[in-house]
Amino acid sequence: MTPQELADAVGVVDGAGRRGAPPLIRVAGVERDYRMGEETVHALRGVSFDVAAGEWLAVVGPSGCGKSTLLNLLGAVDRPSRGTVRIAGEDVGAMDDRAATSFRLRRVGFVFQRFYLMPMLTARENVELPMAEAGVGRAERQARARELLAYVGLAPRERHRPAQLSGGEQQRVAIARALANRPALLLADEPTGELDARTGAEIIDLLGRLHAEGTTILVVTHDETLAQAGGRRIHMRDGLVERDDK
Amino acid sequence: MARVLGALAVAPVLGGAPGPGAASVAEAQPGVRPIPAVRGVAVDERLRDDLGVCLGDRVVLLGRPGDGRDSALADTVRIDAFVRRGADPSEVARAEYRVRLHLDQLQRLAAYDNRVDRFAVATRDSAATERVLGAVNEAAFGFRAHRSRDVAVRTSRTFQVVQRFHRAIGVITVVASAVFLLCILLLKVDERRRDVAALRLMGISRRTVVGALVLEASLVSLLGSALGLGVGWAVTQGINWYYQGVYRTPLLFALVTPGVALFAVTLSLALGVGAGFLAARRMARTAPLALFGR
Amino acid sequence: MRLALAAATLLRHRTRTLLAVLGVAVSAALLLDMVMLAGGMRESFRDLLLVRGYQLRLSPKGTLPFDSDATMERAAALLAAVRADPRIVAVSPILGGQLHVLGAAPDGGESGPAATAFAMGLDARVQGDYELVRGRHAVAGAELVASPAFLRATGAGVGDTLDVAAGFDPQLRQYAGRCRAVVVGEGRFFYTPGEQPVAALPLATLQAMRGEEGRDRLSLVMARVADGADVEQVRAELQRRVPRVSAISTATALAQVEQRLSYFRQLAFILGAISLAIGFLLVTTLVTVSVNERVGEIAVLRAIGVSRAHVVQQIVLEGSALSLAGAALGLALGLVTARYLNAILGDFPGLPAAFAFFVFRPIDAWRALGLLVLSGVLAGVYPSWRAASLPIATTLREEAVG
Repeated sequence: MTPQELADAVGVVDGAGRRGAPPLIRVAGVERDYRMGEETVHALRGVSFDVAAGEWLAVVGPSGCGKSTLLNLLGAVDRPSRGTVRIAGEDVGAMDDRAATSFRLRRVGFVFQRFYLMPMLTARENVELPMAEAGVGRAERQARARELLAYVGLAPRERHRPAQLSGGEQQRVAIARALANRPALLLADEPTGELDARTGAEIIDLLGRLHAEGTTILVVTHDETLAQAGGRRIHMRDGLVERDDK
Repeated sequence: MARVLGALAVAPVLGGAPGPGAASVAEAQPGVRPIPAVRGVAVDERLRDDLGVCLGDRVVLLGRPGDGRDSALADTVRIDAFVRRGADPSEVARAEYRVRLHLDQLQRLAAYDNRVDRFAVATRDSAATERVLGAVNEAAFGFRAHRSRDVAVRTSRTFQVVQRFHRAIGVITVVASAVFLLCILLLKVDERRRDVAALRLMGISRRTVVGALVLEASLVSLLGSALGLGVGWAVTQGINWYYQGVYRTPLLFALVTPGVALFAVTLSLALGVGAGFLAARRMARTAPLALFGR
Repeated sequence: MRLALAAATLLRHRTRTLLAVLGVAVSAALLLDMVMLAGGMRESFRDLLLVRGYQLRLSPKGTLPFDSDATMERAAALLAAVRADPRIVAVSPILGGQLHVLGAAPDGGESGPAATAFAMGLDARVQGDYELVRGRHAVAGAELVASPAFLRATGAGVGDTLDVAAGFDPQLRQYAGRCRAVVVGEGRFFYTPGEQPVAALPLATLQAMRGEEGRDRLSLVMARVADGADVEQVRAELQRRVPRVSAISTATALAQVEQRLSYFRQLAFILGAISLAIGFLLVTTLVTVSVNERVGEIAVLRAIGVSRAHVVQQIVLEGSALSLAGAALGLALGLVTARYLNAILGDFPGLPAAFAFFVFRPIDAWRALGLLVLSGVLAGVYPSWRAASLPIATTLREEAVG
């Protein structure tokens, strides 16, 4: 589903959203607890917010406030202990493993702080990985992988392995991989966390381009520049939403 | 000692009078102790177990299969003893029975007249052996004398072939075990890469790190060797128990000698420590951040 | 893509992969050898027994053919009893004994035997003991067919005449019979060791040469049963009619030889089982360690949407690749070591030259190696499933990758 198709499906006209249309993301009373040895850690203690299709939302807060936990729930990588997470009308927290896996593969693109590229594959092969899993034919996925690498400015580096790429280049490959199956939603966990200021700015520009083309972006970040690049900011503290700067 | 080797048929008899042909030859010779009517023989344990005979039982020995007990080549004997087979590897697979009887008895039953197959001669010392050997062969009454040692060498050829076969199999299994050991130790050290990275980042020297890993590998090898020795010993007990039962022999089929144990332990220690050292050295030379995967 | 990923993963740690493949190869070689040994002896011996189609053998009571020097008396009556059975279509009588080739002393007199051979008195029309290589059969009178070892030992060739004697009495130092025999042919003898000099003479000739010890006597009678007849039934009937001999069918002979060589079969089974276990353990250990090292990568794969089943497939593919490569290498290695081991065991004294301990049968080899590859496949299932089932978020947090 392309961003435009999704926008049409959920009734959004432009990137700012149409008042009254159902949101792309609806988080309602979400709590998440972890057991750490003898203790229970309450990572999220009742978080609720909506995100319209085509929005760029930054989630900020001090370390341990639950930002990454929230991202994992949105990406169906984890399940809430209580509450619901709905994306495009589907209750992501109630999905079984197979449905959640398919959701991650086709609906969401995930960008991690540490890139998480496969070290033994080339840049192009890393981008091809989700398409291969989705059953895309070899010729088609190779062509699309090249197209995505060109989009992120790494066409000449397609045969290089991650160890041969700089941090910024690795993150761009990771973004290209996240876009492989044309997800409507891009989730990024500290995408500039491992990068210097100049490289970080390049990544922010890239995300900006994607947002302008209609991709809904949700980033978790400590980076003030990145937090300001989007239109909306949610401040979190101690597992709760402290402030929502719409 | 003279020996006649022949095949006899054995038929049991319950009580009764001794068969014909048991007339004593010695009665005609004054001064010689009379031969009893029913003479004793010794049979091997297999025959005892398979026929179910006991000490004192009487059986009829037939020189020719199918003959009746009244035949001229038949003799009623009494079982006076049971004999255990020696641990002779060349006889392990032979399922034949053994009966020991008086020489003249067998000569008569086998229609051998006054002949034997071979003599065994005991001499005073090795010099005497050589003199007797020379003298007998020179006389050349249609037979040859051989040293027992030479006979043993020739007749143990089967055993030597088996020994060579076992050695070849042993080499192959040692190679397989060595490769397996090397692989496992390599994996074991590789598993510790993050610990090594952390130690190096803390400032621990390469030498200390390598030493620690080699010590670990040595302990694992030592423990493994001890366990292996125990398992090997237990398995040899099992092998001997089983095959001694199958072949009905006291022969030992497998033996863990001090030499074998030393060889096994030395080899496994050498391989374990060697593999551990090589893997540890390679890891210690890698940059710590690279070990973390960065 | 999965194949590329598996190959890339294996090549990442070349030394480890190479060692694992080597380990599996040696296990595969040993397993193959043991399978060849377990079935080989039986197959080889059966082929040997049936080389000329004789399914029954009659030997002195309680013995296997040529197990001892014993002979069967009243040979003519015995042969008549055997031939009386209409189900028996061919009968080959054989008398064995020692044959001495006499040399000439320097003074023109007679010296001791220049060579001693094992002699077989046969009926050339029905014999089943040798295959003629050169010349013709010894059909009558003073003729013989010699083995290559006999010709080497005597320095004779086909067409030469030799002074031969049999029935030596060591006390009188006399031979019971002697003659000047012509070497009319060279033969490959099936049942005697390759290095033993062997000569085949007409039965009547050898019987006469052996004197009293050979008159109306035979060492062995081979019989061929008509197609469709029950061999065991014929054997049982013969045994009943002639109780003074032992009637042995191919099946009985096989069973008796198997019993004598059971040690090798059991050794083969035990070593084969151990090889399989070692191969399985090696691949299991390697895959387990490899998976444990890549738990983070596996979590990333799961995070980007690769299903659990595909992760398991991926890892099982790696284990299979190791096993396949090892099995292929092991096949070649196994054939080489089998030849070497066969040569060692071929030194057994008295073993027929045509007998082999290790016999390669493709079906056995594929079964054995297939079992090893299957064990390699299974080795990866549990560790990979376990790793693919770990909670993604926790694993990502704990296992930093990249």
